[in-house]
Amino acid sequence: MSHDYKAVQWTPFKKRFDLWMLGGIAGYLVVFVAVSLASPPAGEAFTPIQILMRATGTLAFLMLTFILCIGPLARLTDRFKPFLYNRRHLGVATFIIALIHAALVLLWYHGFSDVNPLVSLFVSNPRYDSLAGFPFESLGFVALLIMFLMAATSHDFYNANLGPGLWKALHMGVYIAYGLLVAHIALGAIQFEKNPLYVTALCAGSLSVAGLHVFTGLASLRPANRAVLEGWLKVADIAEMQDSRAKIVRPVSGEAIAVFLDGDQVSAVSNICRHQGGPLGEGKIVDGCITCPWHGFQYRMEDGQSPPPFTEKIATYETRIVDGTVYVNPQPNAPGTPQAPSPIGADA
Amino acid sequence: MKRAHRKMHLVLWLLLAPAVFAIVMLAVMYRPADPVNDLLPDLLIEEAS
Repeated sequence: MSHDYKAVQWTPFKKRFDLWMLGGIAGYLVVFVAVSLASPPAGEAFTPIQILMRATGTLAFLMLTFILCIGPLARLTDRFKPFLYNRRHLGVATFIIALIHAALVLLWYHGFSDVNPLVSLFVSNPRYDSLAGFPFESLGFVALLIMFLMAATSHDFYNANLGPGLWKALHMGVYIAYGLLVAHIALGAIQFEKNPLYVTALCAGSLSVAGLHVFTGLASLRPANRAVLEGWLKVADIAEMQDSRAKIVRPVSGEAIAVFLDGDQVSAVSNICRHQGGPLGEGKIVDGCITCPWHGFQYRMEDGQSPPPFTEKIATYETRIVDGTVYVNPQPNAPGTPQAPSPIGADA
Repeated sequence: MKRAHRKMHLVLWLLLAPAVFAIVMLAVMYRPADPVNDLLPDLLIEEAS
């Protein structure tokens, strides 16, 4: 295994984001505990540890729900793109919150017997054939194990050594973890919590995540089949393009293409960042370079190469503007090949 | 995201979404009319009553 990797650098934005995130986590826990102590459900009394259990459990679910909504929402609106940069930190923080929740549960419900708490978790309730009495804690534990795997490999070292393809495939396991988490709550808290907010949050959260992923997944598979010039693909009218931003074109075969408008010229590159396969076309041009929305990796417009000292290269594409409409040749140049941009006002 | 990952992502969600929907609906439909937290120690429940 090689040790050659480039870690994503900290930026003032990332630091600010993390501060907001930590403040939000602390604020949620404090408010949840305060409200629960001040107004317990009728006929029930909870200890501070049990309240903390609920606070961390609900927070972990809400955070993972939000994390899984970021990707599809960023495809629908630019407002969510800043969250893409920091999704990794949110994910690790979510795992830590879930770990605290699990530790409290193990300590409180399984820590006072002679049986090992982890064994007790799986055998103390054997009603695996029951819906209402299902041992839901086991589902949460498996979800936590998957989240541990995600959090432990959420570093560029593993991305570089596993390769972006395998790393991405591995991290899709978070969807399985989310499914298990939903089942954990549905068969657990929903069956015995009186507060209707639990049902509302579970329904709204899980259905939003599933709906958004299916909707944007189907939309992203639509190929661009509006060829006008022979073998070329229509991108958009110049007037529809936003400066420093891209339109993404998806050929029938091959990878998606990001076509950027930079002032008065148009260039096209591969939509896939060499770092972790991030969608470059959802990023923007910063300091003259295309900047990946996921982790800020940059590429020059003119040749698809990362500025020195970095060495990453992506494919470039030939573009053309005809009667105010931008077209792209879907045949890629070799990664790092210089490709002259198409100036606006010099229609072919 | 690479095309292969995009397809895998969609296939995963086409399988997962109905499963999530089903488990949530079943859980809500079979939810007790008056939920009782039997995980609470009896003493605490009695004390609260």
